[in-house]
Amino acid sequence: MKKIYFVLPLICALFLIAFLPLEKPMDELSIGAKAPMADVEVTDVSGEKLTLNDVARKNGLLVNFSCNTCPWVEAWEDRYNPIAKLAKENGIGIIALNPNAGYRNKGESLKDMKERANQSDYQFYYALDKGAKIAKVFGATRTPHIFLFNSDMELVYRGAIDDNAKNADKVEQPYLKNAIKDLVMGNQINPQTTKSLGCTIKWPR
Amino acid sequence: MNIRQLRLKYIVWIFLLSIVTSESSAQQADSKLQDITPDQLQEVVDSYQGEKAVLINVWATWCAPCIEEFPEIVKLQRNYSEELKVIFISADFPNSRDKAKEFLKEQGVDWITYFKTGKDEAFINTVSEKWTGALPFSKVIDINGNVVDSWEKKASYKKFERHIKTAINP
Repeated sequence: MKKIYFVLPLICALFLIAFLPLEKPMDELSIGAKAPMADVEVTDVSGEKLTLNDVARKNGLLVNFSCNTCPWVEAWEDRYNPIAKLAKENGIGIIALNPNAGYRNKGESLKDMKERANQSDYQFYYALDKGAKIAKVFGATRTPHIFLFNSDMELVYRGAIDDNAKNADKVEQPYLKNAIKDLVMGNQINPQTTKSLGCTIKWPR
Repeated sequence: MNIRQLRLKYIVWIFLLSIVTSESSAQQADSKLQDITPDQLQEVVDSYQGEKAVLINVWATWCAPCIEEFPEIVKLQRNYSEELKVIFISADFPNSRDKAKEFLKEQGVDWITYFKTGKDEAFINTVSEKWTGALPFSKVIDINGNVVDSWEKKASYKKFERHIKTAINP
């Protein structure tokens, strides 16, 4: 009988949580938060093992959750190398991480990534996020999804590359370029977060 | 006018009539996928308040999970036709509009659906402040206009139905 007193509130609580009529937050990493899992090794398409701390430079780190099979990545891809160049010139390390663990046998394997990096002449690290563990702790939801950290590895910008995936010539708001420049110049980054459409991350099953 | 001339006239009329009919049905099919701005979307959603529960589903032809869950949502609209309005919004790139229309036809969607226009951020925030932009995205609104739930990722018929039942009888 005593068990009922213990179990009944528990069941009620679970029932309430399951049917709570609220929109749930998606838990993206907050501005100011430290880069999590920065000392976890990932494998680059070159075969090199590295960590986010290894990739970071004196002014910070740029992480782009990207993949091989998303039309939005394809649309923005012409801006990948120019952004890598800008980041490096400004003392910011850059890495693209592939979190599509659920699609490793559908075009998202390390071999596929290597081919993509060669085809598109990636001038930055492109590493496999095994089990999408880094994407999970970052609260990444889509590809591409940008996270920019300062020299203390604190998040200063999160979101989109710019406001026009399809046409680089018609970009009105180059969010990421502005954020990189403002970070290096010590200016307030504005906006600190943006949104864009993208392919949902293919989480492991 | 002899019989031969009459027959010719008849054939010409039939031909002209078939052109007019096919053009009109093509326009009708096209009008079922309408461009929508964030402001217009809000108006559409608001128009069902007090009448029906609403399920907004943002999808795209290139999005595998969207395509997987799509038939389940069509089934829900059929099964709850009196109490629910499904608002499909295609987030395809403009050059894939025909592909989207073709897919809607294949799925037997015979009600008006929408094609996202304008900037991503305004559109995303109009659909939901909680949405980060990943597709698919679904949002269930009850008959009083209150949000029951919203989520990224695909869902099963069972999950949609559970929330829709709540939305119909809040």
